[in-house]
Amino acid sequence: MFELREIAVSLTFFVLVYCLLSALVAVAWPSLKLLQATERKLTDLFFALRVLPLVASVIVTFVFVVPSFQLLEPRSLTVDEGIGAMPLALGICALLLIACGCWRVIAAHTQTSRLVTHWLEGAHRLPADAAACTPAHTLTFRSRREAPPLTLVGFRNPTVLVSESTLALLTPDELRVALKHELAHMQSRDNLKKLLFRFCPFPGMAKLEDAWSHAAELTADDASVSSLNDALDLASALVKLSRLIPVEAAPVCTVGFVTGSISTRVARLLAWNEAEAGKARLTRMRPWHAIPPVLVALLCVTATYGPVLALTHEMTEWLVR
Amino acid sequence: MTKAFSIFGSSSRPRLGPLEQQLLQALWTRGSATVRELLKDDSIHQAYTTVMTTVDRLYKKGLLNRVEEGRAFRYTPRHTPEELQRVTALESIRQLLGSGGASALPLSYLVEALSTHDAQLLDELQLLVERKRRELQSRQVKIREGAAPEKKPPEQR
Repeated sequence: MFELREIAVSLTFFVLVYCLLSALVAVAWPSLKLLQATERKLTDLFFALRVLPLVASVIVTFVFVVPSFQLLEPRSLTVDEGIGAMPLALGICALLLIACGCWRVIAAHTQTSRLVTHWLEGAHRLPADAAACTPAHTLTFRSRREAPPLTLVGFRNPTVLVSESTLALLTPDELRVALKHELAHMQSRDNLKKLLFRFCPFPGMAKLEDAWSHAAELTADDASVSSLNDALDLASALVKLSRLIPVEAAPVCTVGFVTGSISTRVARLLAWNEAEAGKARLTRMRPWHAIPPVLVALLCVTATYGPVLALTHEMTEWLVR
Repeated sequence: MTKAFSIFGSSSRPRLGPLEQQLLQALWTRGSATVRELLKDDSIHQAYTTVMTTVDRLYKKGLLNRVEEGRAFRYTPRHTPEELQRVTALESIRQLLGSGGASALPLSYLVEALSTHDAQLLDELQLLVERKRRELQSRQVKIREGAAPEKKPPEQR
């Protein structure tokens, strides 16, 4: 009974923190659109906000709720107290939420695999000269004419599919810069991020995901362009490939080249400026930039751990009553 | 000509009043006409002065040419319908591109309002890309020409 009660209370806290933070993010994120930041920063910020409820609720559950229950809950009383109606109901809600997330991820992955298998029928590796700009470990396939023009699929073994129509339409320079765009998506692990979004559903998050997707496209555009010539080649490739209408809708674990507002992307590329691009590269966030805030957070948690555990336990008691 | 486009907004279709459209259509059908000739058209049921004021307004907007013919004017459309549509779209984009420092923003406002996969819009975007490419090429040629005299071999004594 003690273990059952611990699981129910932990799941209750998980679902409460998750829903509270998700609602807060869904309401507050539009104000971030006013921020004057580079597209890369906006992409990172939108992603961080989208996964914040999931990450925060997992941390709260495993760092505070479980230890507080283990350390402060007297084992002898639990037999009399029972699980409690509230933790039972919210625990079931949490389990349903997790199950829903898992089902969405599996469905998306299955759908993607099925479509990619279909697209890869009769496909063969792209000639070395055409795929010269791609790293050696990247699989680049020439797919059939009716497949999407240019797409990055999968997240474990990312593969770039280039349709025959694309090869016929684009010049070598346009193809090179378009492939660099897809590689930028691959390096950012955008397909994996999209799958993660599927795992944590919440009403009102679709717009935030759209904003992230749009910002990710612009970031990939910026990453693939290093001169005005490149920018014009990419803009030209975008316009040319926009004329090809995809036969099937793109599944979740793919990033198509022709997505988002083509006009906005072309307009940005036409206004490409070397000085601004250099400035954006200099202000780019690196993984080690996260070390100081993480250290500060760890220090704060360590300093206040005892009182916070006691408070969490009090809240647990209040919930059960 | 610029005056004419201020009435069109961001759309590639001119925003004219019903009578203005009717008169422009009549002039496109006839090729050229005086106010009196326009009034002979069965579909126009307006007073002489109303028609005269309206064609005068179209002339002032830069959509018509006119030549004196006796005591009246003979009006001729300045553009064919297709020409007008194309020039309007191009001029709108040109105005937006030149309207501020951050040229990407005004253009995006214009094109966001239209379907991204609209064939006509894609044509316009292609034109813009090609124009920018030509500008870049001519700039590069100028730079190369400017740098060429410095590489002249030393004069022989």
